[in-house]
Amino acid sequence: MNMVLQQIINGISIGAVYALISVGYSLVYSILKFSNFAHGGVMMLGSYFGLLGLQYLGLPFPLAMALAIVGSGLLAVLNERVAYRPIRNRNSPLLYLLISSLGVSIFFENFTIVTIGPNFRTYPPVLPTDSLMFGGLSVGRLDIIIFVMAAVTLSLLTWLVYGTKIGNAIRATSYNMRVSRLMGINPDMIVALVFFLAGASAGLGGVLFGIKYTVWPQMGILTLKAFIAAVVGGLGSLPGAVVGALLLGTAETFAAAFVSSAFRDLFSFALMILIILVRPAGLFGKITEEKA
Amino acid sequence: MLLEIRDLHVAYSGIHALQGLSLHVDEGEIVTIIGANGAGKSTLLNSISGIVRPYQGEISYRGKTLTDKAHRVVAQGIVQVPEGRQVFANLTVEENLLLGAYLRTGKASVQASLEEAYELFPRLKERKTQYAGSLSGGEQQMLVIGRGLMAQPKLMLLDEPSLGLAPILVNLIFKIIQTINKNGMTILLVEQNAHKALAVGTRAYVLETGKIIREGSGEALLKDPVVQEAYLGTKRETKKRKEADSATWAL
Repeated sequence: MNMVLQQIINGISIGAVYALISVGYSLVYSILKFSNFAHGGVMMLGSYFGLLGLQYLGLPFPLAMALAIVGSGLLAVLNERVAYRPIRNRNSPLLYLLISSLGVSIFFENFTIVTIGPNFRTYPPVLPTDSLMFGGLSVGRLDIIIFVMAAVTLSLLTWLVYGTKIGNAIRATSYNMRVSRLMGINPDMIVALVFFLAGASAGLGGVLFGIKYTVWPQMGILTLKAFIAAVVGGLGSLPGAVVGALLLGTAETFAAAFVSSAFRDLFSFALMILIILVRPAGLFGKITEEKA
Repeated sequence: MLLEIRDLHVAYSGIHALQGLSLHVDEGEIVTIIGANGAGKSTLLNSISGIVRPYQGEISYRGKTLTDKAHRVVAQGIVQVPEGRQVFANLTVEENLLLGAYLRTGKASVQASLEEAYELFPRLKERKTQYAGSLSGGEQQMLVIGRGLMAQPKLMLLDEPSLGLAPILVNLIFKIIQTINKNGMTILLVEQNAHKALAVGTRAYVLETGKIIREGSGEALLKDPVVQEAYLGTKRETKKRKEADSATWAL
């Protein structure tokens, strides 16, 4: 029983980081209706930004984190500006955006290898890594901190999207961009904001991944899991992305603990395929005609 | 002159939708534009709103060339109430109304406008926390009009407000349009329901395949034999009308 509880706690902790990244996939999908595979690259560079702040600029951890968050937010905005907006302005098929995002993802990875180097790097010990005991359960302090940071960020994001005027505008634009313009909304501004929010949360996720694991140019691959989570939850749905991520995190840790860690990824992808077959719109999604 | 359009040409995906259209709207008027499906009515409103870009011609507002950026047009005081009851179905009724006031600042005055909208459409108040997608067609039409009013525009562009509504609702909507106009708002109304539209309009234009073919007071056009034949169904549908229709469908 303790073993099960322990796995649930581990699963929620890793799921919370997935959630930080999957909300970015979902936010962008909800506005532009395509899966932005450059998102992993933004997360990876966010992780490097944090490292840069800590190791080379000597910033205290909160400032280094802020640098990572703002830096990757702006990077995502720039990414949209350069690689997606020209395609959008030409009203090209959504598939082109998807292909462009794959290109940007490869660019980010190789740019990092060329400029920073291909080796693995580790964060200095900025957060405590010891464990706390609750009854018979040992919970890593790091896991608790990660969970709290992720939960606070996700709550802020949810409030912004569902509880503010600008959030109304985001949801309206995601429903119908043309009509939103008739309200006086500037869709380019909304798209930029959405990319900033997606990039910023990915940046925080990148820092947390970096602290928990390591930092390396291909770490964007980790966001494939977050993408699966977004699909499972229903692409375009913010609560869906969070629930999907927590589900996936838990399912994964269970698979690793009770079957074999070699089966972990197999399990994640099988779950995604199952969801696509049984409920293509995901747990929280609405059926749409075209997905790219 | 509040709005003046000179020699407007619009084409997209091979369709020459507007072919040198000119018209004007004076302050305080209800100007109606009647025309068949595909005559270019919505294209006209969308070019004013900055949604489609004309390749020739000029739109001027208060004597100055109007911006072609959709969100700036709204800031200038021109709001379009689109056809087909285009509500934000994923938002609540109240959120939809508040989006109409997106560019306005000042919570108190926005709140006052919200109350006014609810007064004009009590049905919307009853349903303010429901998703707009769950409303009936008539209620959605009320919502898009209410949403347009929330912007406090100087000029409201109404695209086919009676489309697909039961006669009793059509009467209500037209009554409301007149009320709004009496309260000082200028209205450019585009309609297929020629009878109603000509009756409420100060002046009217008849649009056929991208050109204005008639203009005059609403009363005068109601008596015009060509208009009667083609748009009011006084006589049986003539061959000319059918040709015009098939021409628009061919496009």
